[in-house]
Amino acid sequence: MASLSTGAIEALANGSGWNEAVLQLVNIRKIDGGSGPSRFRVMMSDGRHTLSSFMLSTQLNYMAEENLLVPNCVCVLKRQVTNMLKDGRRVVIILEIDVIKPADASGKIGDPVPYSDGQSRGPQPAPVPESRPPLQPQNRNEAVVRNLKRDFAKKIPSALPDTPGGSSKIVPIASLNPYQSKWTIRARVTNKSSIRTWSNARGEGKLFSMEIVDESGEIRVTGFNQEVDKFFSLIEVGKVYYISKGSLKIANKQYTSVKNDYEMTLNGESTVIPCEDSCDVPMVQCDFVPIGDLENREKDAIVDVIGVCKSVDELTRLTTKSNREVSKRTLSLMDMSGKLVTVTLWGEEAEKFDGSGQPIVAIKSAKLSDFGGRSLSASFSSTMMINPDIPEAYKLRGWFDKEGHAMEGQSLTEVRGAGGRLSENWKSLADVKSEHLGHGDKADYYSCIATIVFLRKENCLYQACPTQDCNKKVVDQQNGMFRCEKCDKEFPNFKYRLILSANIADYADNQWVTCFQDSAEAILGQNAAYLGQLKDSNESAFDEIFQQANFNTFIFRNRVKLETYNDESRIKATVMDVKPVDHREYSKRLIMNIRSMGAK
Amino acid sequence: MAGILDVPKPRINCSMLSQFINRAVCFIGRVEKVHPTGKMFTVMDGEGKTATVELNEPLEEELSGIVEVIGMVSNKGEIMASTYNLLREDKGVPFDLELYNEALKVIHDFPQHYPFQVAASG
Repeated sequence: MASLSTGAIEALANGSGWNEAVLQLVNIRKIDGGSGPSRFRVMMSDGRHTLSSFMLSTQLNYMAEENLLVPNCVCVLKRQVTNMLKDGRRVVIILEIDVIKPADASGKIGDPVPYSDGQSRGPQPAPVPESRPPLQPQNRNEAVVRNLKRDFAKKIPSALPDTPGGSSKIVPIASLNPYQSKWTIRARVTNKSSIRTWSNARGEGKLFSMEIVDESGEIRVTGFNQEVDKFFSLIEVGKVYYISKGSLKIANKQYTSVKNDYEMTLNGESTVIPCEDSCDVPMVQCDFVPIGDLENREKDAIVDVIGVCKSVDELTRLTTKSNREVSKRTLSLMDMSGKLVTVTLWGEEAEKFDGSGQPIVAIKSAKLSDFGGRSLSASFSSTMMINPDIPEAYKLRGWFDKEGHAMEGQSLTEVRGAGGRLSENWKSLADVKSEHLGHGDKADYYSCIATIVFLRKENCLYQACPTQDCNKKVVDQQNGMFRCEKCDKEFPNFKYRLILSANIADYADNQWVTCFQDSAEAILGQNAAYLGQLKDSNESAFDEIFQQANFNTFIFRNRVKLETYNDESRIKATVMDVKPVDHREYSKRLIMNIRSMGAK
Repeated sequence: MAGILDVPKPRINCSMLSQFINRAVCFIGRVEKVHPTGKMFTVMDGEGKTATVELNEPLEEELSGIVEVIGMVSNKGEIMASTYNLLREDKGVPFDLELYNEALKVIHDFPQHYPFQVAASG
């Protein structure tokens, strides 16, 4: 029987050190690193004492993963480094260790007791000497200290010491309710929004929101004003935090798929403390809906989905109704139901998405739309995960590699016309009127091929704020200065922007439309600044541009909506995008339509 | 030549040649081979079939790419060309011969919707 280096534990724990310590491994536990590599925490014994503050350096992770280090094996600690924590405790990082006797050759040697270095640290898990209120202090050391002294229990039932306050136990998220205010939860942040500001008659404010999850469930959390300053930069997605004393209220389920009757608001008394040891907190809570079932869900439902990204389209840019430019990308998701659905990504998510290698994509809180039948959109409150480390993802990968990749799949999102992209909804201008597009609650979008028959050149230009991204009309102060109300500033200059009123026509009907900057510039073939200059200096050249632009045919993508001004309702049509006619695509579409009409 | 210009010239492909014998037609195809004499060449249509075109005078230029031929269909199913017109490949959108063939089929399948004869008369 190998003899252990009695006294080595004490020496290592108090900083004296010990070379070539022969120790028995009592227990080894994996700690999930979240976004980094896993770590293994080890409890070693020298026959007299045990110490659990040993960490395996990551280069030795293989020893744990290949089961070279198992309870009861006897080892020689060849190289280590001892780190001191803020509270004075030590962690021994194992840099090199040799197993000299395998586990089955020896039982537990001696009857070691946990080492405590004489201060108020007894065998119980409460390390901090002074009595303090439950978890309230923003003392980060507590979290770390707690980790080290914790027993090797698989679950963390109450990681906090029982102090006189008593209310410092960790409770599950599922148990939170508005009637209890003194609680602490330990949860992982799965989604964090950006800071949004508002400004209305009652004042201004800012907020951010996030979704958190633990073993029992999930909940949505919002912080306003001061809480934004306190917590926003502290909180990182994927990390685990102890949160306490938020206020609970009934949830507004409209915006999220988070399953909880309540939602939380952080207030002046709330605390958020990072938790170092997070292995037991699940990464995310998702209730995936099979793609085939999406047909049975109502439009506008918020769902979680997971699938293989079978194909992905190019990034495109569009102009939104508030006249902002936004990036967009669509991808096709397929799962084991054999069905496909198109998912639309926006903004940065669209720009950064890499669909190469047909990754597994999971989206929490995606919005289901009845566009094209059924399709999904990742809104700002959705969370997208690529190749997530969850069992569903592995199942999908296995299925796809074996059989899924060969399947064509049936798409729930209709692709209209040969080569027609999803977003296109071809209508003749008569259809737009007869089908009452735009009369519903929401705006309708359609594509058409039409010819410009009239352009209104009067009042097509306005003077706008020169600040980038601000397009508000400025007020001419008549003293050489121009005032922007939105920016609340005065400028000595302005930039010209276009709002062009046009009448377009096809074989069936005509339509008045409004074109903003980008589409107007595309139609006129000149930029706004030049046109503005020309209007002031060379009227005939200015007119000529409009003459040339007239009677050209384009593919228009328009938005129509019923708008009401003073008891009068009118359909307003705006051009979102204008493109030259692709005759080949157009011909293919016509042939297809003719054939399908002929078949009936 | 003047006669042929006044008459409607249905667009056809190789499969339709036999139905238009002794009639003026318009044929679009890709030039395959030019006869050494320069008075004859073969063209392939959008379906991959080939037809022969005969000219009154020998060619004065190199002919390649897609060409539109107007002429009469002979008893033997050859096109006696009155005039031809090369579609430039270096400019604009490339001509899609297969798509053109699809459109041809539509025109011939639905003659009631494409009354070209009526348009040309009086």
